[in-house]
Amino acid sequence: MPGSLILFYVAAAFVLSGGIGVVVSKNIVYCAFSLLVSMIGIAGVFLLAFAEFLALVQILIYGGAVVIVILFALMLTRIEDFRDISDNRNRPLALVISLGLLAMLIASLVRTPTPQGDQSAVSMVELGESLFTDWAIPFEVASLVLLVALVGAIVIVRRDAGDEEQGDPS
Amino acid sequence: MSIDIFAGSNAAWLIPALSVLAFPITLFLGRFLPGKGSFIPIVAIAAGFILFWFVLSDFLSGGSVPLHVDIEWINIGFWEITWGFLVDRISVVMLGLITFVALLVQVYSLQYMKGDSRYGWYFSLHALFAGSMLLVVLADNLLFLYFAWELVGLGSYLLIGFWFDRRSAAEAAKKAFITTRIGDVGLLIGIIILFKATGTFHISSIIHVAQNGGISDSTIMWSSLLIFLGAMGKSGQFPLHVWLPDAMEGPTPVSALIHAATMVAAGVYLVARMMPLFALVPEMQLIVVITGLFTFIFAGFIALVMTDMKRILAYSTISHLGLMMLSIGTGAVGAALFHLVVHGISKALLFLGAGNVMHSTNDETDCWRLGGLKSKMPITAGIFLIGSLSLAGIAPLSGFFSKDEILNSVYQEMGLGFLIVTLAGGFISALYIARLFLITFTGTSRTDAAKNAHESPVLMLFPVVMLTIVAIFLGMVAIPMGEFKGFTSFVEQESKFHIIPWLLVVSLSITILGVVVGWLYYGKSRLSHKSMALRLGFMYKGALKGFWIDAIYQFVIDRIVLESGRLIATFDRIVINDTGIDGSAKSVLLSALKVRLIQTGKIYNYGTAMAFGVFLAVIVWWVF
Amino acid sequence: MISLAHFQVLAYILFCLGIYGVLARKSTVLVLMSIELMLNAVNINLIGYSAFGSFGGSHTALGQVIIVFVITIAAAELALAIAIILRLYRERRSVNVDEIDLLKG
Repeated sequence: MPGSLILFYVAAAFVLSGGIGVVVSKNIVYCAFSLLVSMIGIAGVFLLAFAEFLALVQILIYGGAVVIVILFALMLTRIEDFRDISDNRNRPLALVISLGLLAMLIASLVRTPTPQGDQSAVSMVELGESLFTDWAIPFEVASLVLLVALVGAIVIVRRDAGDEEQGDPS
Repeated sequence: MSIDIFAGSNAAWLIPALSVLAFPITLFLGRFLPGKGSFIPIVAIAAGFILFWFVLSDFLSGGSVPLHVDIEWINIGFWEITWGFLVDRISVVMLGLITFVALLVQVYSLQYMKGDSRYGWYFSLHALFAGSMLLVVLADNLLFLYFAWELVGLGSYLLIGFWFDRRSAAEAAKKAFITTRIGDVGLLIGIIILFKATGTFHISSIIHVAQNGGISDSTIMWSSLLIFLGAMGKSGQFPLHVWLPDAMEGPTPVSALIHAATMVAAGVYLVARMMPLFALVPEMQLIVVITGLFTFIFAGFIALVMTDMKRILAYSTISHLGLMMLSIGTGAVGAALFHLVVHGISKALLFLGAGNVMHSTNDETDCWRLGGLKSKMPITAGIFLIGSLSLAGIAPLSGFFSKDEILNSVYQEMGLGFLIVTLAGGFISALYIARLFLITFTGTSRTDAAKNAHESPVLMLFPVVMLTIVAIFLGMVAIPMGEFKGFTSFVEQESKFHIIPWLLVVSLSITILGVVVGWLYYGKSRLSHKSMALRLGFMYKGALKGFWIDAIYQFVIDRIVLESGRLIATFDRIVINDTGIDGSAKSVLLSALKVRLIQTGKIYNYGTAMAFGVFLAVIVWWVF
Repeated sequence: MISLAHFQVLAYILFCLGIYGVLARKSTVLVLMSIELMLNAVNINLIGYSAFGSFGGSHTALGQVIIVFVITIAAAELALAIAIILRLYRERRSVNVDEIDLLKG
């Protein structure tokens, strides 16, 4: 078994164990840390696909920003309320649906001939050039979307003047 | 086609146009003018009367081709509707009658209606009424005629209900409108049948096609029956006569106008106009004859027992309209038109005379509460006498000539049996009119109102005197003189004037007998009319109630129409509304109450459904 | 040797884990995390195709570029979602999906 494949299985183990932790853990903080584990695993998968830039971005954004933001959200919404969270009544059906979907996806993978090319790598320089030449306009639009989302988030959370003071004044 | 509008008959279209135009002008501008604009309709109708003489002279001097003006109105592909004027001999006669009577009635109204709060409205309605009637007689196609015909109906409705603040007047107006409406629906259907059969509304074309066998007999039969129904409604033929006595609720000059020149004349005119069509079906002629004859006798009986002056005259009108229909039915269109004119003049005269009486006796119409008026108002009494004698048919007044022509025709076409019945009707006619005159004007004054009666002002006497003169001398036009071959020949364009001497004598003596019998009963009181009434008990009561026709109609309306209406309303409420509409609404509501439970509001339910949907979609995509 | 199928299978399993999380978990924060899992599953799929697919020509960087955008949008979406959750908590003292049923018929 080649070394890269062993590395892939290690990364996949990280990814899946993190994912399972997210969806089964009773403790929401564990869930958040499981998500972090999963994200780091995904960064490893990106590295195995020779996408160094994306791996970097994955760790920075997901491992850093996203998980931190979620933890902040938990803190702001009184973490002790969800110390012991259970699943809702829909769980069995959700299990059936997701397994069915998995079976379907695997079946489609088997049915569909996949392109079998050699593994190719895209250097960070190439990616940067492509991003700022061919994809310059979508890139700018994406930044605009981010801005709008941030402003929107602020507007949503802001306490209006007329709001009754009822929540925790965090 | 260029029209020299001031050359004789070409000006005919101006006659109705002036009056129709006078209607809005009087209505909207009248209040700013002296006399509330009452002079505008009078000037318009007077101009019409003058123009009539030009048209008439054109016809007399041999310009005998009927004038026909056609203006395209609607053109839809292969057929078109036109506004057309047709001036022929029948129209000319009608034009003269309408303009003359309407003019005098309007002049009369100047004084009679003085002080009424809706003076201007009254005169504008007169313009509308006369104008639309003139349109009826000039229309060359049935659609246009129907349009004007309905305008006449509208005018009569508004004028009968002129004092609409009186409940009885409003009711009478409604009755007149609805009763004539029944006939009008028939007329409309008849017109549509004819249009479907021939593809044209033009009267002359329809008759031409029919005479050349272009329409099947049954179609002619049905369409002429329906058209006759329309004429029956307007001309108060049995059993659609019930509106006419009630129409007395209108102002008396209006009654004069309705009975003489407009409304009721329209029906006779229509039948006269469509006679070539009717003549193609012998059964149809018989129907017209029998309807006319029955109405003649029937209404005469009722007139015999009525005590209201105006109602006597109203039933008399119905009766004489029956006589005209009888005449048309026997093919004597000229004689019928002649009687229409003569009767119109006499009846206008009698109504205006009655108006004079009412004017001076605080609107007293019950003739038993009058009496002895001949010394109080001698001129009115005199002209009333002449009108009565003319109506009864005493020579040499005009009524005698027209009745004689009709009797001739009845005898020749229908035989002796019909003649005897008609003569009996003539006897009744003479009897009731003598009764009316004798009770009202002779004897002693029975009430204070009658005692204090006085002669009417000049403005009201003048039109009546004019009518009297015409009533005396109009009969002369029946007699051929030089180029002029007599009235009926003028209308029918073939020489028909002839005299059956024995018939003349018999008819005259029967009429005189009627007058004398009336005199014995009511003038001299040699015979007691009360004991006669007792002896004829049943007939008397029946006649007094108009032979229960109104009661029968009321019964039909109450028990059959309203009851079935109630039944249908119940059906509608229970089956259509409760079951059909409310029921389906309720079932939707109930199912909605069930179906809404699907909406749990829980996001994961929606998510599950969505994922399941994706699953299904992919399966379906794979399988198919 | 690593092949495209490895990436795909990994992506599918992660995606279905995400689906399960979305449908089964009670807390909105956890639902949000599951959605992040699903997005990342898509990213794995994309990088697999980017590395092994042969699209020819100048579009070799396409897969990675799209992943950059997905991450960007995911971040924006996350910010908004967290804002909504905070607001929701403030209004209703709860972030359980069970208790959010304004759409109930």
